Amino acid sequence: MKLKRVAALAMAGTMVFSLSACGGGSGDGGGSGSGGGSGSGGDLSVMIWDTYQEAGLKEILADFTEETGIGAEIQVVPWNEYWTLLEAGAQGGDMPDVFWMHSNESERYMSNDMLLDLTDKIAESDLIDVSKYPEDIKNLYTYEDKMYAVPKDVDTIALWYNKTMFDEAGIPYPDETWTWDKLVEVAKQLTKPDGSQYGFAMRNDTNQEGYYNIVYDMGGQIISDDKTTSGYDDPNTIKAMQVVEQLIKDGSMPSIETMSENGPDVLLKSGKTAMSFHGSWMISSFKEEDYIKENCDCAVMPMDAESGRRVSIYNGLGWAAAANGDNTENAWKLIEYLGSEEAQVKQAELGVTMSAWDGTSETWVNCAPEFNLQAYLDMRDDMVIRPYSRNTVTWENRASELLKEAWAGNMTMEDTCKQIAEEMNATLAEEQ
Amino acid sequence: MAKPKKKVTSRERSEFRWGWAFIIPTMLGLIILNIIPIFQTIYKSFFKTGDFGRGNIFVGLENYQTMFADSQVWQALINTIKYAIVEVPFSIAISLVLAVLLNRKMKGRSVYRTIFFLPMVAAPAAVAMVWRWLFNADFGLINHVFGVHVNWVSDPNIAIFSIAVIGIWSIIGYNMVLFLAGLQEVPGDYYEAADIDGASGVRQFFSITLPLISPTIFFVLVTRVIGALQVFDLIFMVMDKSNPALIKTQSLVYLFYEYSFRQKNQGYGSAIVVLLLVVIMIVTVFQMIGQKKWVYYN
Repeated sequence: MKLKRVAALAMAGTMVFSLSACGGGSGDGGGSGSGGGSGSGGDLSVMIWDTYQEAGLKEILADFTEETGIGAEIQVVPWNEYWTLLEAGAQGGDMPDVFWMHSNESERYMSNDMLLDLTDKIAESDLIDVSKYPEDIKNLYTYEDKMYAVPKDVDTIALWYNKTMFDEAGIPYPDETWTWDKLVEVAKQLTKPDGSQYGFAMRNDTNQEGYYNIVYDMGGQIISDDKTTSGYDDPNTIKAMQVVEQLIKDGSMPSIETMSENGPDVLLKSGKTAMSFHGSWMISSFKEEDYIKENCDCAVMPMDAESGRRVSIYNGLGWAAAANGDNTENAWKLIEYLGSEEAQVKQAELGVTMSAWDGTSETWVNCAPEFNLQAYLDMRDDMVIRPYSRNTVTWENRASELLKEAWAGNMTMEDTCKQIAEEMNATLAEEQ
Repeated sequence: MAKPKKKVTSRERSEFRWGWAFIIPTMLGLIILNIIPIFQTIYKSFFKTGDFGRGNIFVGLENYQTMFADSQVWQALINTIKYAIVEVPFSIAISLVLAVLLNRKMKGRSVYRTIFFLPMVAAPAAVAMVWRWLFNADFGLINHVFGVHVNWVSDPNIAIFSIAVIGIWSIIGYNMVLFLAGLQEVPGDYYEAADIDGASGVRQFFSITLPLISPTIFFVLVTRVIGALQVFDLIFMVMDKSNPALIKTQSLVYLFYEYSFRQKNQGYGSAIVVLLLVVIMIVTVFQMIGQKKWVYYN
């Protein structure tokens, strides 16, 4: 009898639990959950989205706590939910104390006074020297001459290839002489007709790690410098996108269906593709993969034969704080520490990422000696900041969606690009 | 002529007070978490919303005009209905049969019941991740075992049905428990009498079991139709943004999420969800009318 009652209670409990779990989908679709919670009892709450950086950053935070006696707790929220959560927190007035900012979203947050104004604090700080950070990255987090975040890192893109597949085909490894034509040609050679191996992989939404680089190599652009018009209808942009179209037509890439289920990184680490582009933030995950360690390496990106340019799109995150946080003083201390030369050197040394502070990233290549990470550092010679505007996500998502048609072969790349330009111009006009 | 006032006894007053005391927590929850947001959503759908809920501009019916001209919304409505049409009947039929089978005296009955209920306890996100792997065209178990190459979740023609399969699998246990509860109510004498009259098991099922648990079936039907029309988490977890089948699988709630939270266009998102609300209300009203024809309350 007693057992029965306990069982019934447990059953009821699980049902309530699962019902509430389902409820998330109907009401506000994942917007629920804690808003990050600003520090109760003194510990700073820190929110990031990359699990692979957690361990290294924890170490740096421990150093900070030792030095200042201020506790800090990291919470990792995956990229997809990160922005929903932060937005809900911003709207409800309950953001984490310190968190990452990204170029896709920064302007919206800055222009609405959601972020703590750091301008004076940075000017007075002994630890931070703004001249040491890349100009573009500072610009991302500056709005109307006020600075709202301290640059955390920079990232570049490089070409990854499967050495075993190159050896098997008797083709020399990619190097700095490679042009885009060469890439297209080799990708074709490395594709096996039975579908067991493809030469290359790039998805319709692989922009920063993909076609954006080709576009800027060839003198095209994604968005005009004043952020008012789209660059997708620029003849050079179209020419660059036609390189991708060639790869699709040659059958050198897996179908878009396959790539949507298994991204280029998964295909590379499962030995399905011979080449793909990956950002420097992927290193921390690649160095944990036995297959990649054994078979793959990286090299600089190909260049454009005509212009001789070898661009890497780059981006950098910033450390920002909530404007209405409970302990903004401590939050600033943490940001100041994270942006200091000492912490930036340590960040590179631990292999978390390349650091934003000029000259602190050289040690980063040692974090995974089995790869030629120098390629990523070399790519810093010609960098273009990841294209952005106020509502980057809106037009970027729409572009990816339209590009699906080109990837599937339903539309020519030229027509697709022109349509993207048209819709993007409308979105940008609304921003003004 | 004034009617003589009925005197309220202290006992009645006490019952009245306790009655309210018991339902007030639930009512407050419903009002704060459901009813007020519904009206806020409707209100918001007439605005072009600004960043972080500030600076909203009243635009009248503009969001609705855009919506009615938006083929994506209609496609999403079709997808949602397709999903519901597959999920609801199959999940009800299968769980009803299971409930009848598991209502007999048999060895390991509670083990089976637990197994069938387990998917309900697992987190939907985890369920979706496992199925995503099972369905994977290149590395998935299903294609591997059957030696085929089917793009279960990226072929626009079948992806929505693959998602429905996951939905059916996850909900069977829950429906089954409800049906089991309904079956407990059916008196055993009917079956004894039927046995004496020589009715077969199948005949008994259709003539005794079905009519007698029709109130339970009705309840499950109504709640499942509403649940299926609100499908979101499975699609969100299984379908990647670059999936070519996304356009043919995204549901109305998915589209609502996309606009409200990804593109920060909450006004338009709200208009979409109001459309869903209207659809659900219409379907539910028809079900309520329809129940008179087949539900027996004794």
